[in-house]
Amino acid sequence: MTFTHLHVASAFSGHYGVTRPELLAEAAAARAERALAITDRNGLYGSIKHIGACLKLGLNPIVGVSLNILNNQDEPLARCVILAHGGDGGIGWSALCRLVSKANTVKRKEAGIRLEHLAKYVNRDGLTVATVLLGPDSNFGRAALTENRTTAAGILIQWLKALPGKGALAVEIATHLTEPGTAYSLTQARRMLQLADNIGVPTILTNAVRYLSPDDALTADVLDAARHLEPLGSFEPQPNAQGWLKPANLMHKLAEEITEDRTRAKKLLDTTELLAQKCELNPERDCGWGKPKTPEKALLGIDGNPFEVLWQKAHAAIDWRYPHAKEKKLLDVKHRLSKELITINQLGFATYFLTVADVAQMIRDMRIRIAARGSGAGSLTNYLLGISGVDPIEHDLLFERFLSTERSSLPDIDIDVESARRHDIYRAIFKRYGSERVTLLSMQSTYRGRGAMRDSGLALGLDEEEIDDIAKNMWRFSARKFRDAAESKPELAKLNAALESDRKMNLLVDITERLDRLPRHISMHPCGVILGDGNLLDLTPVETSGMGLPMSQYDKDDMDPMGMLKLDVLGVRMQSAMAYAVREIEKTKDIVLELDDIPKDDPQTFELIRTTNTLGIFQIESPGQRELTGKHQPTEFNDLTIQISLFRPGPMKGNMIAPYLDGRHGFAKPEYLHPDLKPILQETFGVVIFHEHVLRIFDKMTGCGLAKADEFRRSLEDPRVAQSVERFFKTQANTRGYGRDTIEKVWTILASFSSFGFCKAHGAAFALPTYQSAWLKTHYPTEFLAGLLTHDPGMYPRRLLVAEARRLGVKLLPIDVNKSSDEFLVQPIPGTHDFGVRMSLTDVKGISDSEVQRIIGEQPYLDIADFYLRAKPSRRTLSNLALVGALDELAKHSGHNRGDIMQRVKELNLLKNRTKDDPDQFAFDFDLKEQLPRGEDLTKEEKLQAELDILKMDVTEHQIEQFRPMLDAMGVINSSELLSVRNKSEVLIAGVRVATQTPPMRSGKRVVFISLDDGHGTADATFFDEAQARSSHILFNTRLLLIAGKTRRTGINGVSIMAENAWDLRTLWSEWSKRPELSA
Amino acid sequence: MIRVDEKVAVAVNGTGEPIGFKWRNANFLVANKPMRWFARREWWKEASRAQRGIGTDIIEVEMWRLLASDLHQKSCQQYELIHTVNGDDWRLILVYP
Repeated sequence: MTFTHLHVASAFSGHYGVTRPELLAEAAAARAERALAITDRNGLYGSIKHIGACLKLGLNPIVGVSLNILNNQDEPLARCVILAHGGDGGIGWSALCRLVSKANTVKRKEAGIRLEHLAKYVNRDGLTVATVLLGPDSNFGRAALTENRTTAAGILIQWLKALPGKGALAVEIATHLTEPGTAYSLTQARRMLQLADNIGVPTILTNAVRYLSPDDALTADVLDAARHLEPLGSFEPQPNAQGWLKPANLMHKLAEEITEDRTRAKKLLDTTELLAQKCELNPERDCGWGKPKTPEKALLGIDGNPFEVLWQKAHAAIDWRYPHAKEKKLLDVKHRLSKELITINQLGFATYFLTVADVAQMIRDMRIRIAARGSGAGSLTNYLLGISGVDPIEHDLLFERFLSTERSSLPDIDIDVESARRHDIYRAIFKRYGSERVTLLSMQSTYRGRGAMRDSGLALGLDEEEIDDIAKNMWRFSARKFRDAAESKPELAKLNAALESDRKMNLLVDITERLDRLPRHISMHPCGVILGDGNLLDLTPVETSGMGLPMSQYDKDDMDPMGMLKLDVLGVRMQSAMAYAVREIEKTKDIVLELDDIPKDDPQTFELIRTTNTLGIFQIESPGQRELTGKHQPTEFNDLTIQISLFRPGPMKGNMIAPYLDGRHGFAKPEYLHPDLKPILQETFGVVIFHEHVLRIFDKMTGCGLAKADEFRRSLEDPRVAQSVERFFKTQANTRGYGRDTIEKVWTILASFSSFGFCKAHGAAFALPTYQSAWLKTHYPTEFLAGLLTHDPGMYPRRLLVAEARRLGVKLLPIDVNKSSDEFLVQPIPGTHDFGVRMSLTDVKGISDSEVQRIIGEQPYLDIADFYLRAKPSRRTLSNLALVGALDELAKHSGHNRGDIMQRVKELNLLKNRTKDDPDQFAFDFDLKEQLPRGEDLTKEEKLQAELDILKMDVTEHQIEQFRPMLDAMGVINSSELLSVRNKSEVLIAGVRVATQTPPMRSGKRVVFISLDDGHGTADATFFDEAQARSSHILFNTRLLLIAGKTRRTGINGVSIMAENAWDLRTLWSEWSKRPELSA
Repeated sequence: MIRVDEKVAVAVNGTGEPIGFKWRNANFLVANKPMRWFARREWWKEASRAQRGIGTDIIEVEMWRLLASDLHQKSCQQYELIHTVNGDDWRLILVYP
């Protein structure tokens, strides 16, 4: 007995289907079915996963879509399943893709396609390439229930006329055994069957499936609520729980119940199987499954063999990348390049590399900064093609970690670009290759803890605040284990108590667990672009993305199976910040910098890094990295690569940091296990940190070759395969003469390493912008700070960058409506030859984009009235600007202070209209030479407070300075002095909290790290249990702190404070201000 | 139409269709081919748990509509029965006049 389901919505039918495609396919395969369809709503979102699962399980895949069909007035006629025909060399598949794209790119509330358009896709040159199923959710299905036979028959005839091709239309008989006389009832099915038989339209049977098993119906109820954005009970719910993937015997029984006639039932089932066979896809021939797709050669400017072009291009670049290389070095380069190119050729990826190189060149031609990330930096070919900026030979990186003949999937080449220019690049790619070859990639986000709980709460109609309350306490556990978590986590104790008695809370927990991990909604992938040939849109459907460009309905996991080329173009704010700095340097100093060409051994740059004042430097500015910098004291580029790689979850968990530092500083003798391993592990003093180390060790001790070695490394993570790798390693190492002891020791390290290591190429790719940003900070701090402030790449608030600028002696120029823009410009300091950073208008609280643009557009202004009339600021913006001194320069010539300005602003803000057209009013209020009313000037403290309130930054001086008399009296020291006091001295430090971290500790005890900025740098304090208890009331919330503790040396340039207690600086200040000697 | 909601004993044939039932000490014989359907339940109002694998009893319920008469009646009346599948529990819900 067999039955092929032709109408199945998977979980990728947003908020409708319940079951993931893989599970549906597994169920069908377990029942020994021959085929299974997936028909997601509005798109082919789950189709590639379905095809992949079917191929794996030996099922024949069928793909369709469920779409709204509209009349010419765009009124809905039906929701129909449209199934692509298969085995026709892809005509059916292409029609399906293109009609889905059509349904999704016209702006409508929900995707839909007009019947007359649909008809054109279904019929291609007289050939029917898809079948439309007219089911219960159609005007025909409804008429069969409510209208007389003639009317219903008339509607069916209209459909037949609209879709006249043979096999273009079938009536879908489906019943969920609902109440007689309603939709999906037996009555409806019987009437539809009779009408179709009378008119001669083929009929097929489906179960209009939404879920795998009846139990999932409850989840479908919740998804319905999420889709309607209304609680259950306030909309018409699904009629019952019959829409599941029923097995063949039940479907056959249904056929008999509908037809009440064995022969007719058999015919219905036979027609269903016939249609199924017509629709079975041949993934390779119909969908282009697994065949690599790249832009046509001509588009890349190639004629002839792409491999030869690649060969020439790469070789021609050797002079550019290695201009002064000696003969021996050139031989090395050429030898390695040949090896790489042979692999690339064997895999047939030449065009792929040329494509990526072409995009990289295009980005550079746009004068946008670009850097490679990830394992791609291990490839010399990438370096020569300008895709990567890291020399893999100099940094000892391995190609095999990136690409080898042992794996045939397209490698990921990820490139980082300036974040502010990312969308420009996307548009340029569309323009260069044509919109028929390019789409953005999409991303399916899934339900996780809080989202799952919010939608569950909505479905149950629970109070939003109550839900928020629980959601806030959902930390670090899977929603699938919500009930367990409620029992064990202290922060959920309240919920757990409610579970004793509260029925709705119990339901909430149960349905939250059900929603977890289901697809939630589709959005634009943050960096993926798909590049194909002219047929790309025959193979993937697209819809309109948030930024307006078309986006594929496939996600990143679908790329490899479909052989699609995905380019990751990731926006990185640091690249924008550096590009900005370079432009400001050129503008103000007339120096053209090629950041990628600066020597990577500048002693001053490393000197700066070693001070641990790394704020603003890529990757090494966090408190943890700063501490590590103090201990590590990097002196060369490779040190940066190592340091970045060490400070990752893996190496940290694998406890690699301490032994490495001990070796480096000579506290321990490096242990190499065997002289053969010394050359490999010398750079890290015997500690295995990099994937590249593992590859080399495998290769050295077994002679397996680096490509195979990478396969071994990957399989170490799978305990089932790891055993055979172990056998291979031990036998081979043994035959190559290594001692038993050595083999055991090395194996232990390799085995335990598997999940902890880091790819060195990735570390080196990151180290490049780290070095470049450090270099800029060393040599052009003003311009670099301007870039940081404008593009805000780091983890800290802007006010800390301001504090750092002050510490570095970079002059901060206040906001000035005549000189400020929407960026932090580098401008001359009046009366000097120096430059400073002009604060930007964008940080003024509440200022709108249009206000900013108006202010810039109307510059310069003569006086306050002129500004008021032409820049048209809102009342609040005007007074905010005045408060932070942005109008000071306008009144300076007439000798007025900020108090006078505030007075004037108050007057202006009282005016009802701002009319320029009335010259009388003009003459009355605004004389040519502005005379301001007198007001009381603001005190220094008031000015500082205004800056903090309005800009969230203390520009004129560090806010800690307002407490200076008290701090001096108490003997509080500056963070920059910490290094010069003796270890374990009792100290007091004060400052603004900039970071609070509570990393998980191996002991399980909580440790709190607080970083303070005091204008002289940053001080890091560690709070253990007792200190936490003493200062618990201010530990997490208070911003201005005084901390008492003992200094603790962590390295040559590293000091932290073991906190003993902490106080709120403001509280202390108000007490100190009241001290008796003041009143005396 | 009279709402009843009383437990009844039901006799079924080989395919599970009711052929007769006993209600208030009277025996009723089914006189037509009964119609079966599944009606839904508003679990969010009634249920106390909804975890995975709880089954469909909290979501839907099997309904039967049939014509029947007891031995003293001349004409048939229409009845609706609820059948809880898992517990094999039958209740008479509606009697049509």
